[in-house]
Amino acid sequence: MRMDQTQRGWALAALAILVSSAVVYVFYALDAPQGPRGGSIIGLTFGAVGFAFMIFSALLGARKRVPTWRVGRAQAWMRGHLWLGLLALPLILFHGGFLFGGLLTRVLMWLLMITVLSGVFGAGLQHYIPPVMTSDVRLETIYDEIGRVRTLLREEADRAVESLCGSLGLPKTSDQQGRRAGGFTALRTMAASAVPLRTSAAVSAGASAAVAAAPEIILLSAEESAPLRRFYLDEMRLFLERSKQRGQRLGDAAKASSVFAGLRTLLPAAAHVTLADLEDICDEARQLTRQERLHHWLHGWLLLHIPLSLALILLGAIHAVMALRY
Amino acid sequence: MARTRTTKKLAQRIDLNYFKRSTPLKRAKFWLSLLLPLLALSWIAWRGYSGDQRVYSSGPMSETHAVLEKECVACHVQKSGALSAKASDNACLECHDGPTHHAVGIGGRKELTCADCHAEHKGRVDISAVSNQTCTVCHSDLPSNGGTAHYASNIRSFEDGHPEFAALVADSTRGPGTVKLNHAIHMQPIRRGPTGPTVQLGCADCHRPPAVPPPATYSDSNYVGAKVSYRESVRLIAGVANALSPRRPRSGRELLAPVKFANACAGCHLLTFDERFDFGVPHDQPEVVRAFVVKKFQQYIAEHPHELLELRDPNRDLSGKPRSPEFRVLTPAQWIRERSTDAQELLWRKTCAQCHALTYRYAGSLEQLPRLPPWSHAPNGHSPDHEPLPEIEPTLTTLRWMPHAKFDHDAHRSFSCVSCHEKVLKSTASSDVLLPGIQICKTCHAPGPEHAESRCFECHTYHDWSKGKEVPPKFTLPALHTR
Repeated sequence: MRMDQTQRGWALAALAILVSSAVVYVFYALDAPQGPRGGSIIGLTFGAVGFAFMIFSALLGARKRVPTWRVGRAQAWMRGHLWLGLLALPLILFHGGFLFGGLLTRVLMWLLMITVLSGVFGAGLQHYIPPVMTSDVRLETIYDEIGRVRTLLREEADRAVESLCGSLGLPKTSDQQGRRAGGFTALRTMAASAVPLRTSAAVSAGASAAVAAAPEIILLSAEESAPLRRFYLDEMRLFLERSKQRGQRLGDAAKASSVFAGLRTLLPAAAHVTLADLEDICDEARQLTRQERLHHWLHGWLLLHIPLSLALILLGAIHAVMALRY
Repeated sequence: MARTRTTKKLAQRIDLNYFKRSTPLKRAKFWLSLLLPLLALSWIAWRGYSGDQRVYSSGPMSETHAVLEKECVACHVQKSGALSAKASDNACLECHDGPTHHAVGIGGRKELTCADCHAEHKGRVDISAVSNQTCTVCHSDLPSNGGTAHYASNIRSFEDGHPEFAALVADSTRGPGTVKLNHAIHMQPIRRGPTGPTVQLGCADCHRPPAVPPPATYSDSNYVGAKVSYRESVRLIAGVANALSPRRPRSGRELLAPVKFANACAGCHLLTFDERFDFGVPHDQPEVVRAFVVKKFQQYIAEHPHELLELRDPNRDLSGKPRSPEFRVLTPAQWIRERSTDAQELLWRKTCAQCHALTYRYAGSLEQLPRLPPWSHAPNGHSPDHEPLPEIEPTLTTLRWMPHAKFDHDAHRSFSCVSCHEKVLKSTASSDVLLPGIQICKTCHAPGPEHAESRCFECHTYHDWSKGKEVPPKFTLPALHTR
């Protein structure tokens, strides 16, 4: 969620609550003979409101799991989660008089602070990373499908190279035949063909499998295809299999471009179209890796934020009951 | 032909059921969301199972109650059938009494609970060190809170609203003391003294706490051990009736003991009464002194009967002309009466009057006349044999100048006396109140870490410990350590 003008209403409301709470707290703290205490009426009010904000924030998870609930727009829930969750921290600090108290309350305060700070960090990431994703990952796909798309890219590359160099002796999966990750016919089975094929203009335009089946065989001699075969088996296929591994030349756009430029000088012109396809596949694999990394930044903080917030709610409820008891 | 992509083509490579599959990120999120709350719950359950309720403590206990850190039930007693186990006053009063403040209950104020002032679970602090607000909740606006008007009514803190010490306010700057003492002279070098040609007195040569042995430099052993007929207590002002008593027994070092003649004065101020004797009269009531003088002259004349023949001293004729000697033969009674009359005149007019205010009361007269020589102003029919004795006014030494506050000289022993009692160097009358003003205190006692404590409890007490009751012991030592 971007922090833009649409957040203004919530931000102003949160600021108003914070300021009014702070004013109440200052007068209360100056006037309280014992200093601010969580057990006083005002202290309890701060605690109850703060805990209510926490519970509301935690309910966002439930709201997401059941999107069909008619309990307000998801956007409103998310904004409420952001601003009320953020307000929970000062309100709980007012509740405790900025003291961390005993063991349970200390644990709660640290949980709250880590949860809120991780949330703020996450909100910052959610603000800055999506534009980066849009600019850096033009071929963004669904994160969960990255592994699958990467496999399709490798298989497509296998076929493209075999169409020039002949069989590479690579093992084939059962559903590999006819699949081309470039979007040709991703899940549909193409017409079976004994020889590697390269698409025609019709295929590149998104034609059906029947059109794509039109054979166009350009086979290089072993001597001509040696540089490509060596490059593909030794470097490009490894890159497609392990794109996240650092230090690979193809992982860097500029270096990859120079590698392919060198290959073009070594291969006959008839192979240049296939080389362009391979370069394109490498570029897409690079973007997927970039997307994966950005996605981890974008969502990785939730591994801390969500479990801690759940533990916080649970222990907070226990604290509320036991504090009233004692 | 280069690869081309359309939305349709890109969509075709997506498994439409992808969202049903789990990913490492989703799995990690799920398991962590399950495990962490379970871990938290297990921690609480384990604490509960082991009977350790400290986890719910709202903070470390105070210094004095730290030994009860594990004994939650010592204070948090759960009544049968009730969820609440809040600490009540009864839990406090089972271990120690807390007599109520003299002002509690007035003006419709509710009775305070212990916890209203003594906040527990605030860390290892002195729980008796209550905040100023616990006092100023009433004393910042005392009349409207039902307080009486003879106290300052708008005290918000030591710095804000605390009045000057009562002994120093304008209408009572003269103390009640009657002993005539010139501090300024005594603080200067004195030409003659028992320890040498020049004596420089220090404050501690005269002023010591009761628990400290009196200084011997200017004492006289004849007087130190002597019994006196007057009662010391009638000469002291101990305090005021409605002052709150402190809790702890005094160490004997807080206040200074009244200065005694035997310990501080006798070394220099000899109470000699006749050249025939090298000792002085007792430091006692005039009756005792006169009896002592008469007795000494009786003993003397019995041992020296030749002194009954008295030769006029030729040098006593101021005209300078030689005069024939005159003789006078006295009876022992005459001799004793004349000598004792001379001695008493010396004593009452000079020696005693140097420090004490003396008055005379004649038979049949209720009026007291200050410093009248009895033989020259005696009413008609008065006989020297029945010379009236002077009455010595009680010294009225004030023991506590601040009866509503506690002050500990011992805690301030690192500071020289005159750094606070600066008026001593210029004081010429014993009635000067030499108590330092509140500004002197404020130079050190102020808010902030670089200053000494300035909260109300530092000088004042809340509980009226004169009404304190003994409480039987509640704990046995092993119980505290085995739980």
